[in-house]
Amino acid sequence: MNLSFHEKSLWLMFVSLVGCFGFYFATVLPAKGVDVMPYQMASFVLAVVVLAVMQVIGHIVIAIVDRRTETDERDRLIELKGRRNAGYVLATGVFLALCVALLTKGNFVFAHVLLGFWVLAQLVEIGSQLVMLRRGA
Amino acid sequence: MGKGGSHITNDIRALRFHRGQMTQQELADRVGVTRQTVNAIEGNKYSPSLEVALRISRVFDVPLERVFQYGER
Repeated sequence: MNLSFHEKSLWLMFVSLVGCFGFYFATVLPAKGVDVMPYQMASFVLAVVVLAVMQVIGHIVIAIVDRRTETDERDRLIELKGRRNAGYVLATGVFLALCVALLTKGNFVFAHVLLGFWVLAQLVEIGSQLVMLRRGA
Repeated sequence: MGKGGSHITNDIRALRFHRGQMTQQELADRVGVTRQTVNAIEGNKYSPSLEVALRISRVFDVPLERVFQYGER
């Protein structure tokens, strides 16, 4: 399969998001409490830092391997459609998080519903772009 | 655009063949899009903007309707 720079970049973001936040949720969610604990915040910061490092290094490697980094009108159209899809997920997540904030004590569930839907929205944005790049926009 | 039900078809593959078997990458470079976009246009998976369509017809030095056809399926 011959992937463009854009597709490789999207796969990198998808895999790094799943890896970093998958690890974060797997370690933090089992210990559910009322409020977010300091060590859980440290895990979050660690996940974000590792995500940023993975993406920066990954993009440097991809750019070295694949010199053609340009995008065109089709890439931009697909990006817009992906963002539109992510917008629906994020709006749903914000609404649900507000409901959770009214119905539960503390900030743990609220923060993680919001974070979970943000990650899901990112995955939907990237995933739908990957599908459209293969199947047509 | 696209959505798999496009009524726009094209003869880009044949035109490339008759231009000394021009590759998709060569056409993409001359038009200013990626090779993947040329491939998607050829496979009728993506309908290009008017500007890109005109640039493609200019590369082959033929009228636009020789490259792209619009018809009911």
